Amino acid sequence: MSTDTTIKRAERRQHTATKATGWRRFTNEGNGREPFLTPRNRVLWYGFLGICLVVGAWGVITRITQGLQMTDLTSQMPWGAWVAFYIFFVGLSAGAFLLSSLVYVFGMYQFEKIGRAALLSAIVSMFVALAFIGMDLGRFDRALLTLVHFHYTSPLSWEVRFYVIYIVLLIAELVIALRLHKGIVKSATRAKKWLRILGTIGVPLAIIGVHGGTGTIFAVVKARAMWFGGLFPIIFVVSAMVSGTALLIAINYWQARGSGRRPDASLLQGLGTVLLAAALIDILLTFYEYIVPLLALETHDLGIVGIQATGPYAWTFWILQLGMGMVIPAIILLSPLRKKLGWIIAAAMMTVVGIIGVRFNIVVPPLIPPIIDGYPVNDYFPTINEWLLILFFLAGGALLYSLVSEWQPIHEPEEHELLDEHAEVTS
Amino acid sequence: MADPSDNPKWAMIIDLQKCVGCDSCTVACKVENRTPPGVNYNVVVEEEVGTFPNVRRVNIPRPCMQCDVPPCVTVCPVNATYKGDDGVVVIDADRCIGCRYCITACPYGARSFDFGESYADEMQGADEVQAPEWGIDWGERGGIWKAPVGTVRKCTFCAHRIPRGEEPACVETCIGDARYFGDLNDPSSLVAKLSTDPRSFRLKEEVGTEPSVWYLR
Repeated sequence: MSTDTTIKRAERRQHTATKATGWRRFTNEGNGREPFLTPRNRVLWYGFLGICLVVGAWGVITRITQGLQMTDLTSQMPWGAWVAFYIFFVGLSAGAFLLSSLVYVFGMYQFEKIGRAALLSAIVSMFVALAFIGMDLGRFDRALLTLVHFHYTSPLSWEVRFYVIYIVLLIAELVIALRLHKGIVKSATRAKKWLRILGTIGVPLAIIGVHGGTGTIFAVVKARAMWFGGLFPIIFVVSAMVSGTALLIAINYWQARGSGRRPDASLLQGLGTVLLAAALIDILLTFYEYIVPLLALETHDLGIVGIQATGPYAWTFWILQLGMGMVIPAIILLSPLRKKLGWIIAAAMMTVVGIIGVRFNIVVPPLIPPIIDGYPVNDYFPTINEWLLILFFLAGGALLYSLVSEWQPIHEPEEHELLDEHAEVTS
Repeated sequence: MADPSDNPKWAMIIDLQKCVGCDSCTVACKVENRTPPGVNYNVVVEEEVGTFPNVRRVNIPRPCMQCDVPPCVTVCPVNATYKGDDGVVVIDADRCIGCRYCITACPYGARSFDFGESYADEMQGADEVQAPEWGIDWGERGGIWKAPVGTVRKCTFCAHRIPRGEEPACVETCIGDARYFGDLNDPSSLVAKLSTDPRSFRLKEEVGTEPSVWYLR
């Protein structure tokens, strides 16, 4: 953003700022801002979220009144869907943040437009992740004890601290990015420098601390085959990059459509290339993750691979994890189909859903086989109330994201994009 | 049980040749510790080994192994579970946040989560006393915000009985005298001697948890 346009935008804003009141003031529409959604889409979107929240609230109410009895969990099957969604959202957050670092740290300014959206989705995803794991605690009233008592051998104890630092850093970075965009910083150079500094601290924090660390929670559990191993945290980070990039593609596209703008094809195609790169590395790592126990005939690992591939959740493995999460998007993005925007969006959206399957297959199948021969085989499928709680927090996250985007210029296109559209209309 | 030394390290020996699989230990444990439905400190794993006609039934009673290198303890994010000086792994129910990380980490499935269920529908006064194993009066079993509901629970070798000079309930009740309890630090104790018996083995030695429960095959 050049200094000239920054000043122009600030002037224009000052000129119109006095007119706006109420909702228009909240959404800054009167200030010459692009709306987040068109009025019609606004009704549809918030109506949809409202219904999801009202229906899903029943799950939350049951959780609070009945405790974890309302889940399908048992003492032998201690973790389920909420833990899967917790690691899914931590992954989305880390992936989205790493994408923003491409802009703010590594200077890939072709992705500048999604910088603020990436930071905001990283923040919202973290809150959703913490909501899921909070609801999963037997005593969520004691959740803050995790910050009081530190246990250095527990990856989870480190994680909680990393999450807090990470969220604070993300919020600081987003605030600076927004102020820079609105042209209300004293020195744009200094603001950009701070974005780079915070982003640089954030990259190892997100990779090692936040998401690699979340993988470590599972990787250190030697009692459970397929969790225990050094490759696991790395796969976590890579699949985080996959899901985060895919999410940003989807958000960027649908927000543009919802606000009546033309989606930026070159931006989305560039992001599609990032998604492809991450997906290919993910496929490579997953290949080794499975080929090693298969060739070694490691019986415990094989038992779990067998459950994943042929058990009651086999569809999540073949269709969600391998199909939608890895192979189909990779094929789409490698083939000439990638030139069509619609296919990129389809690849991105199926990836986001597919990675949910990846997370589910991380958490549930390794807990299914009896831990000692002679114990009963476990069985788990989320109850209706567990699904309702999931629906509530998914909708809650989307609502939080939307409201912040209404309030702040998260998605406001840069000047040159507006000029481009103008040129297209007049030509 | 021989006189404990000044610095006892409690251990248990279970003779599988004497175990008939009657589950008395499980029942005695539930009565002694008043564990609610779904919370089992002791179970007897019953397994059929071999193919007909060469089949054999194996009963493996499974208390908590009170490991010397307990994987459940290292993963606890808040230090709520720890290994005491006497070798018993215990849980501070007032600190446990109920994340159940320790349950996933235990290679023996010896930990239970208290989901808040109750035998009150089946048994009069089932909720009047609960969880006396800490030696604390917890009062009546209450809602989901009253510990130990919502926390993880486990066998403590009946830590409330040991100071009174009593053996754990499962040991005392065993009809075949298959269980022995004592101080491993006392070289003359039965458990110290039997732990090095040629028949002795421990579950999942390969995991490196160093259990304090030996079996005699």
